[in-house]
Amino acid sequence: MARLMTWEGLLALLFLATFAGNVMLAPEFLTLQNQINLFQLSIEKIIVALVMTLIIINAEIDLSVASVMGLSACTFGYLVTGGFPAAGAIVVCLAVGLMAGMINALLIARAGIPSLVVTLAMLIGFRGFARVLVKDQSMGDFPLWVTHLGQDALLGPLPLSLVLFLVFLGGLGILLHRTGFGRQIVVIGTNAEVARFSGLNVARVKTVLFLMSGFIAALAGLLYAARLGSVRGDAGTGFELDIITMVLLGGVSIFGGKGSMTGVVLSILIILNLRNGMALTNITGHIQTGVIGVLLIASVLIPNLTQDLRARRAKA
Amino acid sequence: MSVLDLRHVSKSFAATAALKDMTLTIEPGEIHAIVGENGAGKSTLIKIMTGVHQPDQGQIFVSGAPVTIRSTQEAQSHGIAAIYQEPMVFPDLDVAENIFISNRAQGAFMNWKQIYAQASDLISQLGVTLDVHRAASGLTLAEQQTVEIARALSLNVKVLIMDEPTASLSAHEVARLLSIARALKAKGVAVIYISHRLDEIFQIADRVTVIRDGQHISTKPIDQVTPDGMVKDMVGRAIDTFAVKSAANPHGDSVLRLEGLGRAGVFSGITFDLSAGEVLCFAGLVGARRTDVALALFGISPSTEGRILIDGQAVTITSPQQAMGHKIAYVSEDRRKMGLALSLPIFANISLASLGKLLGAFGLIDRKAEAAMAEGYRKQLAIKSPHVGVEVGKLSGGNQQKVMLAKWLETKPRILIFDEPTRGVDVGAKAEVHNIIRTLAQEGVAVLVISSDLPEVMALADRVLVMREGRQAGILDISEATQEKVIRLAAGSARGQVAA
Amino acid sequence: MTRLHPQTLRIIALFVALLATVLFFSTQIDNYLSPRMFTRITTSAAVILPIAVGQAIVVMTRNIDLSIGSTVGVVAYLTGEFLGGHPDLHPLAVALLAMGIGGLMGAINGVLVAWGRVPSIIVTLGTLALYRSFLVQYSDAKTITTASLPQWLVDLPQANAFSLFGLDVRVTVVLALLSALAMGLALTRLRAARRIYAVGSNPDAAVMAGINAGMVVFVAFVLSGAFAGLSGLIFLAKFGNITVVAGMGFELKSVAAVVVGGVSILGGSGSMIGVVIGCVLVDTIDNSLTRWELVSEFWRDALLGMLIMAAVTVDTVMSRSLGRLGGKGGA
Repeated sequence: MARLMTWEGLLALLFLATFAGNVMLAPEFLTLQNQINLFQLSIEKIIVALVMTLIIINAEIDLSVASVMGLSACTFGYLVTGGFPAAGAIVVCLAVGLMAGMINALLIARAGIPSLVVTLAMLIGFRGFARVLVKDQSMGDFPLWVTHLGQDALLGPLPLSLVLFLVFLGGLGILLHRTGFGRQIVVIGTNAEVARFSGLNVARVKTVLFLMSGFIAALAGLLYAARLGSVRGDAGTGFELDIITMVLLGGVSIFGGKGSMTGVVLSILIILNLRNGMALTNITGHIQTGVIGVLLIASVLIPNLTQDLRARRAKA
Repeated sequence: MSVLDLRHVSKSFAATAALKDMTLTIEPGEIHAIVGENGAGKSTLIKIMTGVHQPDQGQIFVSGAPVTIRSTQEAQSHGIAAIYQEPMVFPDLDVAENIFISNRAQGAFMNWKQIYAQASDLISQLGVTLDVHRAASGLTLAEQQTVEIARALSLNVKVLIMDEPTASLSAHEVARLLSIARALKAKGVAVIYISHRLDEIFQIADRVTVIRDGQHISTKPIDQVTPDGMVKDMVGRAIDTFAVKSAANPHGDSVLRLEGLGRAGVFSGITFDLSAGEVLCFAGLVGARRTDVALALFGISPSTEGRILIDGQAVTITSPQQAMGHKIAYVSEDRRKMGLALSLPIFANISLASLGKLLGAFGLIDRKAEAAMAEGYRKQLAIKSPHVGVEVGKLSGGNQQKVMLAKWLETKPRILIFDEPTRGVDVGAKAEVHNIIRTLAQEGVAVLVISSDLPEVMALADRVLVMREGRQAGILDISEATQEKVIRLAAGSARGQVAA
Repeated sequence: MTRLHPQTLRIIALFVALLATVLFFSTQIDNYLSPRMFTRITTSAAVILPIAVGQAIVVMTRNIDLSIGSTVGVVAYLTGEFLGGHPDLHPLAVALLAMGIGGLMGAINGVLVAWGRVPSIIVTLGTLALYRSFLVQYSDAKTITTASLPQWLVDLPQANAFSLFGLDVRVTVVLALLSALAMGLALTRLRAARRIYAVGSNPDAAVMAGINAGMVVFVAFVLSGAFAGLSGLIFLAKFGNITVVAGMGFELKSVAAVVVGGVSILGGSGSMIGVVIGCVLVDTIDNSLTRWELVSEFWRDALLGMLIMAAVTVDTVMSRSLGRLGGKGGA
């Protein structure tokens, strides 16, 4: 019984509820292709959420991810439209992502400026550079193989993005929960002073995390460009809201140190099913965003309130 | 009539009694010193007077009327305020505003002219010069204390508690603080002065109360007290309650040698040799900068002068990683802030400083080996817990201390620094920790122990290094060291000075 | 006083930066130093200034309000709609209505941050989305048009308060400046307002000093919402046509104005005069870039981001060197 009352237990129940709701609303929801489509529609955010999980467990935050996605997508559009070979452009875009991550990392881990502030400024800055590249145009005409990779099945029924998601999920899950580096992430998130006094290199761990975040965000931006077949300056705007909600709803503490990949995967499933269900009942995208906003606040507020209740009961 | 009166006050935390039947009377315009060893109950006493804790039993009277004090604000409204070693100021506000920020008598509008005038007046009443326009962020610790005292004065305080106010001050600043205390006395304010420094107490106090083990031992006018008598009252308990230690067991050559080690503005001139198997205790008052020496050795705040030699080779240590590379371990004094990740299980805490040894292919943690290693320490150190997956935060203080110890033992150190190894640990666990330390020394580890607990120092040390105000006041061999000698060296009392 | 206060020095530096910016663009853009350009920049800054004032108060308490862009949109829409049905409402009542709606939205943020203990970044990121989606749902894709607004409001943006050396100062500009002046006076003269600095400067010490820190944070968010409401009204008057995207992105502009204006992002310090200059500086760069032929106007956001980062870095480095002077003692 007690295990069901954990956050993950609640998430599992919530997932089953939303899933059942979708099945009732539309029985054809259950086909494999529909399930794949469900993931495919938000796949870029989901991939970025995996790294965001590590960053928030480390007691930091990266608000600039959506802008890095946009910057990478726009760099790709700009280069390909300018006649640059697409394969080379992909490498350049990933390098741009790493560079963006490096800028964040230097300011956060070396200069010691709070990540909230740094990445908020970079949210504006990187987005600005994306706009500089594509102006108010839409850039498309990607080579066929690019759009093919972005849209069509690659491995069995799975498109590339979903394959990548599964690979990252496995890889980052193991990294977080099984490796020494993952342990360092958790300890630093729990108490950075304890980590420092135990001889851990706190700045290096943070640097690696923000580099990873920049790289994965750039990759997600490329997937986004390939899936849609064209890019605009506002590609990915506001995605950070969904991404952070996925992580926090998954039971990852905004104060760091606590969280699991299982929880985040459950929360991703819930949000996907919720969005799908809302779409089925003709609720518009904007309202969906509002619902996500409420979920975001609730996922921090509810644990706080239950903690207060418990403390009050313990006193009485 | 007395201004503050505590009658038969008792307070327990969980099963530990912090104060037992404490009775204390404070007269207006007196400077009343309270002395006692660490853990004697001084801080609980202060917290009861300032409303942070409520007594389980007993009554508090202010100017003869019974009162209940439930918060710092209520304490202030009764005219009781406290200043601490670490002052609470607003760094972005200037001196004058810091003084008046919560003063409700000042009205809704800021009359800056009046505020600056009144602030200057309050500061000068204390016999100090301080520009009231300066931002608090640029003030020294002593100046911040002055601001806090002025704030208390502006609230028409009747009783001002000073808790170890001089612990981090220089000699010149101490003199100034003492004259402030006298100025307060002249204004009729009662000052409760808590300090380990006996020379200050003899300079300033009218009466002295000694407390020990949460109990009132004596209250006497200062002219009826001698330093020796006071120290005896403080130490009181029979020393042989501690495990009898085995004979010193130094194995020849020096493992660690410091030559005039110092850090600019913090400490200087620390020189000693430490052999394998030897226990060297750092004694001294709170604020004597003993921990800073340890932090320099461990690379957290590196030294800026002098040399560190390990096995006769000069080394540079500027990070904990480097220190650990030289097989130095530091068991810190503050378990919660620097020692343990409380929300993580026992095994993760024990493996933390030696994670590298447990990593296999792709940096994966060998979880079986990790659990087995942790389990080994659970048995060896008798950590009371059903298994090693329990959150460390759920263990008692003594068991937490053992987990922290296990973390550092696993790094197989040659030089092990303990900072207040038994602070907040009950008597039973204390003896166990002492045994572990002695055993380690017998196994050939060179041990440094920083302790403010004198009986502990006497029980553990082969030699005692006494620090005072960032300097080495002397080194005593255990055969010549007595608690009285150590206290005199640490407090800088002129009598009985022992040559180093 | 022979010694310059660091804050004073900062204001002077900001002012010099503003002058340099204006001088630079006057060499780049034809007819830059004209009364028309003055009016254009001041009226555009007048929309941002009130929300920058509100944002500054919140930032001073060590928090942030990312929801104010959405608040501006909602207030502009609701006020515009209400005026369509009640064109005879007294202008003062209209202002109170706009600030009341905004204040209410700020109160929601305030409760969640102060007593729900949810970090302000999370709360306001959530309400940024929530308020906007409320607007989309409520408006049902209809827009408010100038035609439905009372004449006095339509005329307001062109109304001149006074002219100085041939430069027209619009009523909206005066309104915005008044809001900054009022808050500036409060922050220097009102004891209650000084608590904002105290809470941001050292929350623990504030509680020890008997300050109700939760209440101070709550009031800061209510004020931020109310000022966003005022900004929504000016926005409504200036543009007349209100769609669901009204005020989008204003939260970032306000953060930029505030940190460039010298309000420490770590709370506890900052002045309204700094916020005013910061706001004008950000808006001058913004408006000038759109007219600068050498560089595309799309550089605006990139520069804005870099500007914020530079301001914050300078601030961090400065406060750290100050902290070092303070010298923390330890046992």
